[in-house]
Amino acid sequence: MELVILFGTFVVLLVIGVPVAFTLGIASMATIIYMDFPPSVLVQRMSAGMNVFSLLAIPMFIYAGELMLHGGIAERLIRFATAALGHVRGGLGLVNVASSVMFGGISGSAVADVSALGSVLIPKMKENGYDADYAVNVTTTSATIGLIIPPSHNLILFSIAAGGTVSVSSLFLAGILPGLLVGLCLMVVTYLIAVKRGYARGRFPGLAVVAATFIVALPGLITAVIIVGGVRLGVFTPTEASVIAVLYAMLITLVVYRSLTWSAFVTATLNAVKTTSMVLLVIGAAMSFGWLLAINQVPAALFALLSNISDNRIVIFLMINLILLFLGTFMDMAPLIMITTPIFLPVMVHFGMDPVQFGIMLIMNLGLGLVTPPVGSVLFVGCAVGKVRIEETLRTVWPFYAAHVAALMLVTYVPQIALFIPSVIG
Amino acid sequence: MSRLVPQFAVLCGGAARLLLAIAGAGLVVMTLVIGWQIFGRYALNDTPHWSERLSVYLMLYYIMFGAAVGVRDKIHIGLVFLHDLLPRRGRIVLDLFSNLLVGAFGAALGWYGLEIALRTWNQTIPTLGIPTGTSYLAFPIAGAAIVLFSLEHILRSLAGQEVKRGWS
Repeated sequence: MELVILFGTFVVLLVIGVPVAFTLGIASMATIIYMDFPPSVLVQRMSAGMNVFSLLAIPMFIYAGELMLHGGIAERLIRFATAALGHVRGGLGLVNVASSVMFGGISGSAVADVSALGSVLIPKMKENGYDADYAVNVTTTSATIGLIIPPSHNLILFSIAAGGTVSVSSLFLAGILPGLLVGLCLMVVTYLIAVKRGYARGRFPGLAVVAATFIVALPGLITAVIIVGGVRLGVFTPTEASVIAVLYAMLITLVVYRSLTWSAFVTATLNAVKTTSMVLLVIGAAMSFGWLLAINQVPAALFALLSNISDNRIVIFLMINLILLFLGTFMDMAPLIMITTPIFLPVMVHFGMDPVQFGIMLIMNLGLGLVTPPVGSVLFVGCAVGKVRIEETLRTVWPFYAAHVAALMLVTYVPQIALFIPSVIG
Repeated sequence: MSRLVPQFAVLCGGAARLLLAIAGAGLVVMTLVIGWQIFGRYALNDTPHWSERLSVYLMLYYIMFGAAVGVRDKIHIGLVFLHDLLPRRGRIVLDLFSNLLVGAFGAALGWYGLEIALRTWNQTIPTLGIPTGTSYLAFPIAGAAIVLFSLEHILRSLAGQEVKRGWS
């Protein structure tokens, strides 16, 4: 009965459009009252969920991304990628994917990626004769690469949800190859469609220009190296690294590029406040929701259910991928990480998957959910930036989805892709 | 009612700007505090013991204030498909109901947050030396703001208007 109230309230409120954070909170509140706990338990659970030092990394990494964005890093990355790849057939599509990979090393936010790169690249692609649906699809599906390329605040969230048993620095290192793999799969699809549709190629500007644009982009590009290196070598903790990223972003945009004005600084700060406080409230509410799941023994029940269906790891892995993909299509990333991690992690570990590998697999699944309807923040922003109707992009997005699924299957069934780098450097 | 709404909107707009400014300042201060912690460890060979606790303390205010402003600016993510399916009248009813629930939850957060704040007022946060209860005060302040902002949305949609964003 407790679970009927918890899930029933949750689903009904979600469908009628109550914001996710409040849906989670109200469903928890209703259940807490039904179970005869004092209602103040909810506030206690929420504040305990938000009073976690490692959570600070989330506003900080997003803030760093906002500063870099308003300081014009995205344009510099795009100029470098265009110089290097613009001359290939469908070159701007490849430029788009490559920029996402590079931008992923600065920001871990897929929405920031779409709005930053998309607002520059989508109009540019249209001008050069690319179809709008193609431009938007390349932009949105590649934007999720940044979710697993370090620094990734979502992997920190996974580490918190896993009860701090999975090291953030291993997760950061584990994200590198899968991130590049997704990029590669998308580049193949991007190129093949460009050839089929006969898109133009640009002119090669010469190696000197490639080198010059690379040097200009370099301070932005080494952000990831500083963060991952610093954490790996134990110079600072992952949370401290997020603050280093903010201070570094301020240094580059204020001193090196001198591109960040006072008003851009205020905009970046307030944008960071609004997006991150919303995400963090969702996390706090999800913590109380997850606590209710745990005391009602949902993880154990699901574990028993799944073990009854099959004891074959290939089947179980596939099933959990499908469940995560399904949940991801209509729910946002942060609450799903908080809620599904304690449920699925023990199952996956029982069937022999490394927790680090599961973290990457989880984020890849939920990331794909951000570009799928009915709710996909990245898809929505991409369509808004590209001024295309969602239905139009959906007709031609399937090869891009297929590229994601191919990469996801490889990461699920070939553990070395995620675990190779952590095992070598770790 | 239509004469009351503009004045009420000015009040709400002011409250939203104030909360957002405090949260923004909080973000910068948290950056500086942890920056100082790293600097202290390496340059001064003396890690400040209060820095982590202080930034977590600030973070709770930061989250609650920012999230309250998010209610006014409607940036909290939710499903919209049912909303988009309905005719205009249905949408208004759905919005009213949704805002009512958000406001009620804000009131509950505020009320029970205040209860805990009062209960823990005599305890002290070890490294900071201030009452534990002060950190729970973020809930009644943000809760009151959420009630205010939901009420503004309700009044506006009854008057057939949209809420203008305070700071976009």
